[in-house]
Amino acid sequence: MPDTDVIVEMRHITKRFPGIVANDDISLQIHTGEIFAFAGENGAGKSTLMSMLFGMYQPDEGEIWVRGKRVDISSPNEAVALGISMVHQHFKLVRNYTVAENIVLGIEPVTRLLGLIPYVNMRPVNKAVRELSERYGLEVDPTSVIEDLPVSTQQRVEILKMLYREAEILIFDEPTAMLTPQEISYLLDIIRKLREDGKTIILITHKLEEIKQVADRCAILNHGKLIATMDVATSSTRDMASKMVGREVIFEIDKTPARPGPVVLEVSDLTVENEHGVDVTQDVSFQIHAGEIFAIAGVAGSGQVELADAVAGLSPVKTGAVLLEGRDITRMLVRPRTLKGVSYIPEDRQDVGLILDFLLEDNLASKSYFKAPFSQHSILHKDAFDAYADDLIRRYDIRCSSGALTLTRSMSGGNQQKAIVAREVEQDARLMIFVQPTRGLDIGAILAIRRRMIEERDKGRAILLVSLELDEILAVADTIGVMFAGRMLKVAPADQMTREEVGEYMMGVKHA
Amino acid sequence: MSEQKRRNTSSVILREVAESSLDPATGTQDDREETGQSEPLQIQMNWFLRAFSNERWQFISIPLLSILVSLIAISIMLGIMGSNPFNVFITFLQGAGWIMRPVYAGGYGQLSDLSNTLTAFTPMLFAALAVTIAFRGGLFNIGISGQMLISGFLASVIVGYSGLSAFVAKPLVLLIGMAAGAAVGGLIGFLKYRFNINEVVASIMLNYILQYAVSYFIKIHFLDQISRQSRVVSQASMLVLSDTKVGGVYVSIPLCFILALLVAVALQFFLKKTRLGYEIKAVGANRRAAQYSGIRVRRTILVTMMLSGALAGLAGVSYYLGYFNSIEPGALTSLGFDSIATALLGNAHPLGAIASSFLITTLDTGGTYMQSMMGVRQEIAQLVTGMILLFSACSAFFRWRIALSRQKAEMRAREAAASGGPGGCGPEVEVSVQGGDVQ
Repeated sequence: MPDTDVIVEMRHITKRFPGIVANDDISLQIHTGEIFAFAGENGAGKSTLMSMLFGMYQPDEGEIWVRGKRVDISSPNEAVALGISMVHQHFKLVRNYTVAENIVLGIEPVTRLLGLIPYVNMRPVNKAVRELSERYGLEVDPTSVIEDLPVSTQQRVEILKMLYREAEILIFDEPTAMLTPQEISYLLDIIRKLREDGKTIILITHKLEEIKQVADRCAILNHGKLIATMDVATSSTRDMASKMVGREVIFEIDKTPARPGPVVLEVSDLTVENEHGVDVTQDVSFQIHAGEIFAIAGVAGSGQVELADAVAGLSPVKTGAVLLEGRDITRMLVRPRTLKGVSYIPEDRQDVGLILDFLLEDNLASKSYFKAPFSQHSILHKDAFDAYADDLIRRYDIRCSSGALTLTRSMSGGNQQKAIVAREVEQDARLMIFVQPTRGLDIGAILAIRRRMIEERDKGRAILLVSLELDEILAVADTIGVMFAGRMLKVAPADQMTREEVGEYMMGVKHA
Repeated sequence: MSEQKRRNTSSVILREVAESSLDPATGTQDDREETGQSEPLQIQMNWFLRAFSNERWQFISIPLLSILVSLIAISIMLGIMGSNPFNVFITFLQGAGWIMRPVYAGGYGQLSDLSNTLTAFTPMLFAALAVTIAFRGGLFNIGISGQMLISGFLASVIVGYSGLSAFVAKPLVLLIGMAAGAAVGGLIGFLKYRFNINEVVASIMLNYILQYAVSYFIKIHFLDQISRQSRVVSQASMLVLSDTKVGGVYVSIPLCFILALLVAVALQFFLKKTRLGYEIKAVGANRRAAQYSGIRVRRTILVTMMLSGALAGLAGVSYYLGYFNSIEPGALTSLGFDSIATALLGNAHPLGAIASSFLITTLDTGGTYMQSMMGVRQEIAQLVTGMILLFSACSAFFRWRIALSRQKAEMRAREAAASGGPGGCGPEVEVSVQGGDVQ
């Protein structure tokens, strides 16, 4: 294609965050009127790259060219002025406004009543929105209120918002993450229509199926690097999947083969629904033995976190059963589960795992404060808290400015995680659940936590690991279960599955 | 939806990091917006920031700042109106009995004024403690006035109009007050527990219900035809020994004054040193984390509201059967609302509430004397109290503003460090922004 067709060009873009390179020397060209997809695992750097095009971040190195001119996009407003718009994964709509009101927010047409009193005249807006909606087959009523609309319609409102502002380059960040299959195919139709109308579409997704269906070209990112730019028509999804999971240098961790004992956790036909009444896991069954690390692989939102929450007692079970060492704990409260031997390192360490406004010693004891020696006859013994915290700080190398009395909020993320790990390991639990335990940590902390998991396994505990990082799963798992769209597609010993195989199940390309 | 909490996360490029010189223990990255700081920074802060940004002392420094700012504002206002602000403040203290007046009427003395202040102090402290415990549990009990009213009313009806002797009557009044308050607080807590009804809405609505229900019963059954208030309760049931002669002057001895101070200390102990106190604070600080650690969140909310209601009940009986001896039908006391600001001024801390209650009641009781001495209008005295309460309610804003200035100072320091400026020997700085205060 001739160069005049290039609408967006990125040259040697590098973006660093503390401790991590999110985008590493990425150069690519996007042509006018094509659907260009970015594929990659979570954290591969897709969203960061597009956030720079949309002005939310600035590149540390490299240049962005739009329509043949070098640009510095320092805010989303400047991006919009360049005709670039983005539909975020989480919509930015005012819930109690109408569709049309949301669309004109910030650029309201003001008319003066009797030439004096300014007011927003919605009539022409409603008409314009209705016309746009009909033209692209979006089926949105401009006068309905956002909070009455389902998620898929809200997304179409976001699309209308971009169209109303006459955007030429439309970025979709994981647009199908919250949609049902029917809604997805409808959305893909809309995207095709937009292309026919001459718009340039950038699609960020980790679902290869969708890329195969609509995209013209696809860039594959892995750990911040651009692995390949491929023509979708001539590439297979299998090929794309293997590039996507990549072959990274894995730090070797000494790991002896597992010596599994009796079954500790048995989950049978577990179905969990979220607060919207949607089943987020469906009939999931598996077993974990003592001395075994069972890792659940899957792309974000496959139901693995909800599964872990349900096993820990944080969310109710719809149907099915959870058995801990043969005892039914399906309907048990959180506290008795903790006492029966379930420890849990949750995904959201700052909002669930810790009370940030508490002192470190109060957080370290938050699962044992109610029993001796911390508490006797309902009275707390601060000496016991101090001594226990000092001990854990030393043994787990938790760095904190004022020892046991440090305000947890003031600690770094890695040390907050160390505190959680310390507390949960000390529970001496039969079953330990780790959800995304190394997310956002540096390499030293990552290795320490992975080694810890294996150590605890060797002590005969059953370990359930949920991770979005295939590297992590391959490094520590004895058994791998792959979840896709709420179902457990495959359970197999780790040494019987290749990285590519796991990747294919994760993407839903392969079925058992 | 928990999905929305989940941020896109970044994995680590092993090669890159292995080559970098990051300290494995501190160089971490959590959220992109909030960069974990691994290097010590030399931060230029002026004396003001230095004094007020230390979080360890903010529990006392922020209320003092609120008071200071309000005193300055009041002084300017009084100056414009032609009064000497210093004299005004002195007369407040004289009126409240903290310092001697030049002249006293026969049979009265400094002790009379002081005892009057302490009598007013007692219900204020109880009420502020009621607000405090709810705050700490993450709840906003705006229905203190209603809970006070029903407690005072039931205690008056059951004990105040009976012929019980003082030894039976006084403890019974306290018990009934606590029970009635706890019942109303518990009802609000139950509505939240069972139906997830917002406690602010429930307590405001209950205020109206209680106000008119009590008014109805007083008007029908217990009205004094001359005063148009409820009938005066018996001396035996009163929590104050009125018009007692001590050292030749009339004083009214507030029997619950010591009790109120003890309850404040006990509440501090309760919050700091007991299991239930730990649970209440955990639920108040982060409900999801509290649930995760095995605390039964909704039950704790119910218990917190009952305790708050019981304290409001103590405020009610020490107000209607102490500071007053009858109930005006159809009115809620403003003390119940002032106590919210008083608790805020005390930084939602039981011992802080003691100090702030002293301040507010001093202004309240000293106001009358101040008016007559300074020749200013009655409204001015109330304006002074109002301004202190207004600024105390701004403490969250002060805290936020200080955190913001500090962050800016830190950004400047970081930029200076990045451009090769001085840095590297200061203490490690913790960044935290507190967007808002208790709800």
